[in-house]
Amino acid sequence: MTNLEPDNEITRADLVQRVALMESMIAEGRKSTVRFGWIFVLWGLIDIGGIAWEYRWPSFRWVWPIVMVAGFAIQYAIFAVRRRTSRPVYTNSVQSRSIAAVWSMMGLTALLFVAAAIVENGTGQIAFVSAILMFVGMAHATSALILRWPAQAAVAVLWWAGGIATYFLSWEYFLSIFVGEMFFGMIAFGLYAMWLDRRQEQDGRASAHA
Amino acid sequence: MTTLQPEDGITRGDLIRRLALMEEMIAEGRRYTGYNSWIFVLWGVVDLVAMSWQYYFPHFGGRWAWPICLTAGAILSFAGKMLQRRNQGYSKNDECGRVMSVWGMMGLAMGIYIAAAMVTNFDWQYSYMAAILMMIGMAHAISAMILRWRVQGLAAAVYWAGAVGILIFNSRGATTAIWLFEMGIVMIVFGLYARKVEPKGSRIKGELA
Repeated sequence: MTNLEPDNEITRADLVQRVALMESMIAEGRKSTVRFGWIFVLWGLIDIGGIAWEYRWPSFRWVWPIVMVAGFAIQYAIFAVRRRTSRPVYTNSVQSRSIAAVWSMMGLTALLFVAAAIVENGTGQIAFVSAILMFVGMAHATSALILRWPAQAAVAVLWWAGGIATYFLSWEYFLSIFVGEMFFGMIAFGLYAMWLDRRQEQDGRASAHA
Repeated sequence: MTTLQPEDGITRGDLIRRLALMEEMIAEGRRYTGYNSWIFVLWGVVDLVAMSWQYYFPHFGGRWAWPICLTAGAILSFAGKMLQRRNQGYSKNDECGRVMSVWGMMGLAMGIYIAAAMVTNFDWQYSYMAAILMMIGMAHAISAMILRWRVQGLAAAVYWAGAVGILIFNSRGATTAIWLFEMGIVMIVFGLYARKVEPKGSRIKGELA
């Protein structure tokens, strides 16, 4: 279909306007995701730090509770600093609120799951490790579908592949899978998002000067 | 602030119209969930059948109860959706699309997770059972936040509580009881409740008149 004819009193101009509106909403949602790219980098580094700590002192039970609390404290501190700067932290579009819902609920789910497993020493089960990777993959996939973002969909596939691999490979490979996921699925994606954010900011400044 | 003054060319009427549109979109999203609520009921029944088969007829292909029932559930869901699409057109707004993304990706993630666990025989682990409830809770919670729907938020909390319960009690009896309650009763009751969500007008619409 190359030509859109008026149908039910909706003109071609109306349709073009609606498509433009949808595209701008999707772009706004992506913009808010890239603005939070640093959170992916932060949690990637924190989780790798936790793994290294646990590897060095495997008998210390409080590694992950300490690491998680430290992660939230740092995240909160960065939010507070950014809030003081002139640049807004949040964009309040419908798309970005949906993305915020996806990530905040993923965080809550993972937190409850990890906390309950730590209390009962259930963190050694394969299904537990795989589930964490699946949760993150699910959040990436949902976000990718809402924002129609192939790069994020690729990251979701990477997380899910890791989740499947934990079932099929032995424990010796677990460390490599986890570190690989954190590096490529968290830090690399976060850096990519931060790069996009910076580029958008520069484009915005250039168009403002023009 | 009780009165909204015109600012930047936006009048009070404009703001009310925008709010009404947003409310309508959210209500439409809830109605869309209600329109698809038969899927919750279907999966509740599928889970109950699989559990009953495994419990009452363990020697009659009990090992295959879950793979067969899950496959049947997936086929019935797919057929039901096809039928629904053919019978009546249902216009979807952006809100519906987002809710659909959440449930679609939950289904895909869970399908992959369950299949991998079953193939490798790790589906006996408590973490596996808890993770499934966590995923359903997560999808309910995201959808509840998008649609600003407290009842669905409650359903999410019940699923999360069940998952935490499985990990804390760490026993076969407790896991079976929690699983039966969550997958049978909560799933079906929420499905039936969502079905009853009637089209409700916007609370703000009256102000437009």
